[in-house]
Amino acid sequence: MKRLVYLLLIVFLLLGLTSNIFAASKDTIVIGLSSPILSLDPANHRDRVSETVIRNMFDGLVTRGPDMVIVPEIAESWKWLDDTTCEFKIRKGITFHNGEALTAEDVEFTFNRIIKEGGMDGESSPRKGLLGPLESVEMVDDYTVIFKLSEIWPVLLKMLPHQQIAPKDYLEEVGTEEFRKHPIGAGPFKFVEGTLIERVVLERFDDYYGGSPDLPPVGVAPLKTVIFEILPESSTRVAAFISGACDIIQIVPAVDVPLIEKNPNRVIKYSRGTNAYNLEMNVTKPPFNDVKVRKAMAYAVDRDLLIEMVYNSEGSVFAGPLFPYEEMFDTSLKPYGYKPELAKVLLKEAGYPDGFSIVLDTTAEFKEPAEVIAGMLAEVGIKCTVRLWEWGVLKPLLLKGERDLVLQTWGSSILDPVGYVDAKFLTNGRGNYSQYSNAEVDKCINEGASIIDPAKRKEIYKEMQRIIYEECPAFGFSTDDLTGCSADLINWEPIPDSRINLHDASFK
Amino acid sequence: MKGIKILERVLIAIPIMLAVTILVFVFMRVMPGDPVDKILGESGHVSAEEIQALKSEFHLDQPLSTQLRIFISGIFHGDLGKSFQERRPVWDIITERIPATVELALGALLFSLIVSIPIGIISAVKQNSLVDRLGMAFTFLGISAPGFWLGIILIIIFACKLGILPVYGRITFAFKPIHITGMYVLDSILSRNWPALKDSLTHLILPSISLGAAQAAVTTRILRSSMLEVLRADYITLARTKGLSEYIVITKHALRNALIPTVTVIGLQIGALLGGNMIIETVFAWPGLGRLVVTSIFNRDFPVVQGAVMFYALIYVTANLIVDILYTYLNPKTFL
Repeated sequence: MKRLVYLLLIVFLLLGLTSNIFAASKDTIVIGLSSPILSLDPANHRDRVSETVIRNMFDGLVTRGPDMVIVPEIAESWKWLDDTTCEFKIRKGITFHNGEALTAEDVEFTFNRIIKEGGMDGESSPRKGLLGPLESVEMVDDYTVIFKLSEIWPVLLKMLPHQQIAPKDYLEEVGTEEFRKHPIGAGPFKFVEGTLIERVVLERFDDYYGGSPDLPPVGVAPLKTVIFEILPESSTRVAAFISGACDIIQIVPAVDVPLIEKNPNRVIKYSRGTNAYNLEMNVTKPPFNDVKVRKAMAYAVDRDLLIEMVYNSEGSVFAGPLFPYEEMFDTSLKPYGYKPELAKVLLKEAGYPDGFSIVLDTTAEFKEPAEVIAGMLAEVGIKCTVRLWEWGVLKPLLLKGERDLVLQTWGSSILDPVGYVDAKFLTNGRGNYSQYSNAEVDKCINEGASIIDPAKRKEIYKEMQRIIYEECPAFGFSTDDLTGCSADLINWEPIPDSRINLHDASFK
Repeated sequence: MKGIKILERVLIAIPIMLAVTILVFVFMRVMPGDPVDKILGESGHVSAEEIQALKSEFHLDQPLSTQLRIFISGIFHGDLGKSFQERRPVWDIITERIPATVELALGALLFSLIVSIPIGIISAVKQNSLVDRLGMAFTFLGISAPGFWLGIILIIIFACKLGILPVYGRITFAFKPIHITGMYVLDSILSRNWPALKDSLTHLILPSISLGAAQAAVTTRILRSSMLEVLRADYITLARTKGLSEYIVITKHALRNALIPTVTVIGLQIGALLGGNMIIETVFAWPGLGRLVVTSIFNRDFPVVQGAVMFYALIYVTANLIVDILYTYLNPKTFL
């Protein structure tokens, strides 16, 4: 027995001496991702985490920096020929990782692969909807390509950073299945190896054209190796970050911020979130069919305190349906502040002087904010019970109008009403959990999505915001995204659309 | 004769697996939740044509009976279908993950046996001694501590505080051995890649302990109680009166008989170790089948869930068969 104990001790000591093998060298970066990657094919997913990995291997026609402004990437310039036709000039001298030149033919192929039914060797791309009314993409010459829309769509440029250019010849030669195993792009890093559930390893592409000239420095990436590790469990991700095994981690839970901040080599970076948290009330059923009750709810919840308590970040309280930092937001609207006394008065006027009982539905990830909200509602006499669901079960019930109150998020990575209000506030929208329906709002939503002039759009959306603000079918907030980052990492900032762009990053 | 019996049992396993899979096929489709909605996520920019195209591609617009017919006919052609989310053959997705799951289960089983057999024997032989009490305290802890909690505690101590073991994963990228079986420890040995062996073993320690602790505790208790029973039997007294050494009495006479119930439990545990590792795989970012199944259920990725359940059914049937065969060796009076 003694021998066994000694033997185990020796093994442990040996393992201890070899622990330095876990430290990565300084031209290698390790990123802890918050969920598995769904595909390495840029046309075969609808997932931000997959896009983060893909966009380090593939470049798009345009991209955006941390300020969310659209800048050229593979495209050198663009010009609207009319309201539905846009011409892109492709940058010369770009090569894919296999050495083949990137031309307009590859751009045409990439987009047709997405918009044509069965375009991926018989399979249809789940990204078609992200290109709205894009009807065709045609090559004019080797470096010019024309995008034709079937109707006016003001967000084409805002949506293009999410589409990456794939190599036509390679894809046609090896086929979709092989391409997904060994993807080739024209981005700053090339694929080395990896599986979707474990890790993906990328290596610097030494013939990279340099990236967007509007996002300096331009040139080959300083880092030699990039390793994306799939760490879906947040405590494991944080432990890996604290122990030094990861240099960047996605989605730091607010509760772990003080623990991380104790470590001088680890910092938290904050970026404006593009996910809206909405408390949505079913306007077709009592008690929420009365606007006074809905407003009372908004006055009863201290959203500033909620953001601070639960998310440990800055965040923003919404006034109306839009993010306060998006271009189309009406700055004259002010959020319903925390006024519990006013909430009580409104409840009394609505015929609920003693409040009422209600169930707040949500999923496990929002348990904590939901419980805080329930506590706040209790202060004005609303007895709120939180019920946790599996999302796949809850969502159909919400869409059928069978539930009363829900807390959920909805993404808007381009920070534009298109793709957001048409899902959340349009009659029968695919995320309209409040069952809200207003003909005037529907008209504004449809009109706003079919005009290019930003000033006119702003005017239309102003009216939409005013009505939704007044009718208050939902009230929301956003929080900052928290990303963990090694203190010696330089030239890297998180981007609100969750992209981890490693082109410029290096270590001190 | 025994060979025919084994073959018979193997053949019986086929309809069992098929029945289980059909049940899962039906349950997954009856369950609320739309796979296409899951693919398109919580975002806008979704057209009705897009939804229809995906539904039609996955045959979700067909009646349940047609979907079942397509699925069954696929199985008989060796095709488990394609994952809705990844659009890759289910067979590839599952076989990619099986080595990780098997490696972790074997690691946990090894840990469980190394701990439980000595403690179980010593606790029984020296009943009510300090060793026995400590052993039983360990088993109490092992049964009570949930695997995910134990995993996180071990990560905090050995990875974050002491820094001697890795937090997650199966191997450090730089040490990955040549792919032979997909089980890194075995591949490292076969390719004589000793740094990879050391690295993969260090990665295996914490998940194996977390997964195997509860199993070790159960096995220890079972072995201890059956040893206690056997040690009081007449034939043990006879063996002692014959003048056999205590070592021989315990190992040759007592242990062999006490192993019969223990093997039953271990056999069932193999199934549990292979099929019940979802949480440990998530905590340690271990890219195995358990994590895949959980994610696929949430994503309503029907083909992957069906394929994985078929595999689990196969494991349970095989584990039970192996236990039954082992019985016949341990106790020649039993038959298959």
